[in-house]
Amino acid sequence: MRRQLKLRILLAAAAAGILLFTVIFAGVIAPNDPYATNALAIRKAPCAAYPFGTDNLGRCVFSRVLFGGRTTIAATFFLVLLSFLAGTFIGMICGYCGGWADRLLMRIADILLSFPQMVVAIAVAGILNGGMKGAMIALGITMWVSFARLARSHTLSIRQEAYISSAILAGKSGLSIICTHVFPNLLAPLFTNALTQIGTTMIGLSGLSFLGLGVIPPTAEWGSMISEARAYIQIAPWAVIAPSLVTILTIVVFNYLGDLVMEYREAL
Amino acid sequence: MTEAVLQISDLSAGYGQEQVLSQVSLTLHQGEVLCVAGESGSGKSTLLQVICGNHLPVSDADRAGRASFLRIESGSVRFQGEELTVTSPSQRRKRMGTQIGLIPQNPAGSFNPVRRLDAQFRETLKSHGIAYDRGEIVRVFDSIGLSEPEKLLRCRPYELSGGMNQRIAVAFAMLLAPTLLLCDEVTSALDVTTAITVIDELLKLKRERNMTMLFVTHHLGIAREIADRIAIMHRGRIVEEGPAKELLAHPSHEYTGKLLRDVPRMAEM
Amino acid sequence: MNQALSAGREGRSDNSGRILRWVKKPIGLILILIVLSFLVFALLYLAPGDPAEKRLTSQGVAVTKEVLDAERERLGLFRPFLVRYGEWLLGVFRGDLGVSFKDDLPVTPKLMTGLLKTVILASASLLLSLTVSFPLAVLAAWKKDRIPDHAVRLLSFFGNSLPNFLISVLLMYLLCIRIRVFPVIATGSLQGLFMPVVSLAIPMTGRFIRQMRAEFLAQLSEDYVGGMRMRGVKERFLILNVIRNSLGHILTIIALQIGTLMGGSVVIENIFRWPGIGKLVMDSVTARDYPVIMGFVLIMGTIYVVVNQLADAGFHALDPRGQA
Repeated sequence: MRRQLKLRILLAAAAAGILLFTVIFAGVIAPNDPYATNALAIRKAPCAAYPFGTDNLGRCVFSRVLFGGRTTIAATFFLVLLSFLAGTFIGMICGYCGGWADRLLMRIADILLSFPQMVVAIAVAGILNGGMKGAMIALGITMWVSFARLARSHTLSIRQEAYISSAILAGKSGLSIICTHVFPNLLAPLFTNALTQIGTTMIGLSGLSFLGLGVIPPTAEWGSMISEARAYIQIAPWAVIAPSLVTILTIVVFNYLGDLVMEYREAL
Repeated sequence: MTEAVLQISDLSAGYGQEQVLSQVSLTLHQGEVLCVAGESGSGKSTLLQVICGNHLPVSDADRAGRASFLRIESGSVRFQGEELTVTSPSQRRKRMGTQIGLIPQNPAGSFNPVRRLDAQFRETLKSHGIAYDRGEIVRVFDSIGLSEPEKLLRCRPYELSGGMNQRIAVAFAMLLAPTLLLCDEVTSALDVTTAITVIDELLKLKRERNMTMLFVTHHLGIAREIADRIAIMHRGRIVEEGPAKELLAHPSHEYTGKLLRDVPRMAEM
Repeated sequence: MNQALSAGREGRSDNSGRILRWVKKPIGLILILIVLSFLVFALLYLAPGDPAEKRLTSQGVAVTKEVLDAERERLGLFRPFLVRYGEWLLGVFRGDLGVSFKDDLPVTPKLMTGLLKTVILASASLLLSLTVSFPLAVLAAWKKDRIPDHAVRLLSFFGNSLPNFLISVLLMYLLCIRIRVFPVIATGSLQGLFMPVVSLAIPMTGRFIRQMRAEFLAQLSEDYVGGMRMRGVKERFLILNVIRNSLGHILTIIALQIGTLMGGSVVIENIFRWPGIGKLVMDSVTARDYPVIMGFVLIMGTIYVVVNQLADAGFHALDPRGQA
């Protein structure tokens, strides 16, 4: 049972690895320049030169999907990492030190969670009008909270452990205890949370891009590609289908990996 | 002699690799009260589990809920001639309650804590095709000293004390009138006064309804009060069995003597 | 005997705790709403440029120093921030969310017309989603680790992994272009409602099934389930009890999903040109019409906060345990 689960995790991780690899080496794999327009090859059906066909401006959809993945996945990872770091830091401080700072920060977290996340994100991204950076800020405002809460509750329980009191008695400073004892013990649950957040974040970011609140054209990004090509879906469905399928594939792979890792940790 | 209500012969059972019961044999006749006494871990609760049919998963959800399974290795358990070790969940469902009743160790946990008692009575009675008669329930409540029955029926179990819930469980047993009533450590969670009342109620059940009962307890004081016969269980085996008075007066097995010395007399409490 | 009864009911007869709860809740609610309004007002200051400039650019007027200063004077921008916030908040209490930068019409009626349309769309998809997910979640929990459970979980997993804009685009492609059953652009008609409702309902159904299944499984492992089996209670009554005891948490689950539904409806309304509040807000984002955006966040935030407070009250009504 456990071995089978491990195997499935490895397979899902391998799939995620392949996705990341393709996207990182987009420059090598892509057959065409994703931004080069070609007036002679507008909305061409998939063929040898253009595996996924071309879009309204004659750009290679396959290359754009590869480079678009770079934008989408990089932004997602960056945002999750940032929330992870900020949330963990805040959560550890709150859990370890307690007191007014803890109460204040957790109160802020409660208030942030009491508003609908996507509504806030749409408004903030709409007002900031700052492209992908704006969209990331808009989502990041509420994203750190789940990490902070998780880190705080784990820090609270780690604090009760005997080795923490002995470290305090040994005269170690709070910072060194956090670095050597608290943080390493937090990594596993927080990493699991980060994995499960990847899918949601990708849905959020590509949703904002789809609404025109993410990347600024002509930058390739899956959500905005789908949004652009939607207008001529009747003539060139491939320009919509290709980025749609890779979006689904990526989210499915990361969600599946997250679910498996969560299941694995629960079975411990 | 009448046909045995319960006939356990050479029963061996356990969880996973571990054997908890080995070659247990017991017979219970109509109207008899048998007390199985032993320390915790001696296997007496497992014995009840087997009689209740807990080696059968009731549903798939139930299957998943349990970590390790009760497994019967050998032997048979016959209830009124019917083999219990191989019955199906649906047969078991029909049997539990009206033929074999159980007063669990923690009756409060056996009720839905947030559902009104009258609804829980109605569902249980309807499950067995018994008409829901509020007046009858009120009479039963009155007879076991539960005051304000109407008000009580509108309560939810979480609002009631452990002793109250224990009596509700007794009321269930009286309404469903099972042929065999199993009692699992009925008094362990109760204070002394409540324990005595509950024992009195069970004695009344025995006298008035001629109910067959199987008590499981670590408390020989209770056995003295209520049992016709006593079986002493130690490490999964029945080490001694006999009529209550004789066995308590002249314990032949050293373990029985130890149990007797450990347990204060009911009257002294 | 009576002692036992009254002792058990202590939590019930002690009303002061309960009253405190009923007083504390609305106060907390009002505090959250005030914080919300403050954040919304502050949103205007997050944006590049000041309101006067935004208003002028939104109306397409050439911005010169003189025009700008006159506009600033007219809008009262030279007064302190808190004074302006107070005035705005007073207006909000009277139901006045200001006037649109674009056409100088009051924002409130605009938002209310849109809100009505959005409520129709959102409640239809919520209803659809619940009617599908509830029985499926019960089935999956009941048949845990068996074929029905695996099938339902697979469906729920995919539903959960699909962004709703993708579902709507793919639905459009399949139903409108391939099979030609539905019109591409939703008019107010019932037929037009179908595709947006389904697009919103699919991911929500996936999430509902997942959360409800977990809740049912938690209930199934409670002691009372085993207790009822020992009394020979029929499985159908057992399911009834499990469902009844899950309702409180399910209410909370639904209330939390409404937040996601609000975000989703903005996307869906824009795809299908459904004239709801989400379509209005995206048009206002394009036109840089800030009062409409502020009003949108305020209205949606208030609805969400109130709905969640109601769900919380409902939870305590359904499960009165642990209430002081």
